Amino acid sequence: MNSSKPSLKQKFTAWLENASMLDDAMEKDLAKGSDLKAQENEKAVYEAWEQRQKNRHDTAVQEEHALYERIHHWTMTGGAKTATILYRLFCIFVCLAVTAFMLMMVLDMPAYGNANSPVNNEVSARYIEKGMEETGAVNIVAGMILDYRAFDTLGESTVLFIAACAVLTLLRIDLNRHGLPTEELIAAEADDRHHEPKDDVILQRSAALLVPIILLFGIYIIFNGHLSPGGGFSGGAIIGAGMILYLNAFGFKATGKIMNFRVFTVITFCSLMFYGLAKTYSFFTGANHLHSIISPGIPGNIFSAGLILPLNIAVGMVVACTMYVFYALFRKGGM
Amino acid sequence: MTLFTYVLLGFLIVSALCVSLFKNLLTAVVVFMSYSLVMSVIWMLLESPDLAITEAAVGAGVTSVLFFITLKKLHAIEKRRKPENEQQ
Amino acid sequence: MLDWLRFILTAVLLVGGITVMCISMYGVYRFKFVLNRMHVAAMGDTMGLFITLLGLSFSAPDFTTVIKFFLIVCFLWIASPVASHLIARLEVTLNDHLEDEMEVLK
Repeated sequence: MNSSKPSLKQKFTAWLENASMLDDAMEKDLAKGSDLKAQENEKAVYEAWEQRQKNRHDTAVQEEHALYERIHHWTMTGGAKTATILYRLFCIFVCLAVTAFMLMMVLDMPAYGNANSPVNNEVSARYIEKGMEETGAVNIVAGMILDYRAFDTLGESTVLFIAACAVLTLLRIDLNRHGLPTEELIAAEADDRHHEPKDDVILQRSAALLVPIILLFGIYIIFNGHLSPGGGFSGGAIIGAGMILYLNAFGFKATGKIMNFRVFTVITFCSLMFYGLAKTYSFFTGANHLHSIISPGIPGNIFSAGLILPLNIAVGMVVACTMYVFYALFRKGGM
Repeated sequence: MTLFTYVLLGFLIVSALCVSLFKNLLTAVVVFMSYSLVMSVIWMLLESPDLAITEAAVGAGVTSVLFFITLKKLHAIEKRRKPENEQQ
Repeated sequence: MLDWLRFILTAVLLVGGITVMCISMYGVYRFKFVLNRMHVAAMGDTMGLFITLLGLSFSAPDFTTVIKFFLIVCFLWIASPVASHLIARLEVTLNDHLEDEMEVLK
């Protein structure tokens, strides 16, 4: 430390901390060697160059700003207008194209009531000629959808059931962990009777008169499905509408006694299971020109047409429950 | 195809256009209801009473009721303010 | 003779019912306020339908059809006024400036 000459270690640390010794040496050389004039000249050249760069940069920035402003302005006015016009033109084009396509398809179709159209083939002829004999149903439509094409109808009922499940998962408001109503449920129940008649005597009296008739009519349509127009879907929808009227008149407390979540699950599950099992059994025993065990009965009787009546009842129950559950869930998020 | 059928079909087209063009959702739902009703009459004329019953019960009845409830949930059916308040 | 009588009765009643329906339809567009329009609409539903079905029942093929018409009229005479009542209730609840449209007795 006391020596005037720095030690190797000091040199090394100085080199590490500041800069390289070589740089220092070069700097010293430059300061000594270059003359003042050259230095000033160099400085002026450098400044001029810097100024040029700066000017160039500024003009570039200005141009960029101007361009940006122009584009921005254009998108806000002209661009928006053009986009709207293009969008509308595109919409009109798509509409016209789809319409033209569909009209072309219609032109390709056989004429209404044409006897030679491919729809009038041997299948429909067989349905019309032998439908009553084979299924026992006077109403050919019921014989078709519940006997010849019964798995189709099973799929349709299942689609309804899946739709009800989706609505349940989306809209149902659950109780909390302790089995008590949550705040959301209480708010939904308070909102439910908002702007709606509560205990309206006129509505209640007329509903008490009409609901049994509506339900009876629906049951008649279901039970008579193989004899007259109607069947499970129509009758079920009518029963569902009657139950909705009853719910509107008397509120959730009255309908909750006969219809709750558990009843809905049990009824739909049992109906669909019964449908699937019965139809599997009937196909297993009756299809492929085997003699069917389930007899069609005498056409025209109420207990005839084999499996069509029970299948109608099953479909009707699924449809009625689904209608009611849709309404209840849309309205309050529960039953 | 009688004149009656053509009138009904024209009504169908007009109401289908109206449903998409009306700004008021409640009006659109009511027009859709009338569409379903006319559709059920057309099914009846095409000799398929099964479909006519289903269309009248589901299309005109239950579907519109569900639409109305949805509109109520969206607060599309609300108290109307006084016209004086709107001007101020 | 009887056939002619039936035909004339049916025609007159049908025309009358359709006239009532048309008047009610015109009234729905003519009136401005909901309660007036509701009254007119209910008129078409009850009286127009009754007269039309009465006319149709004169030319019905058998008595069962007449009973069906009667049941339809019964159903609509119960259902339609109740629907009008509910619409009126909703209008009274939702309309704040009901006093501007009519005289309200309290």
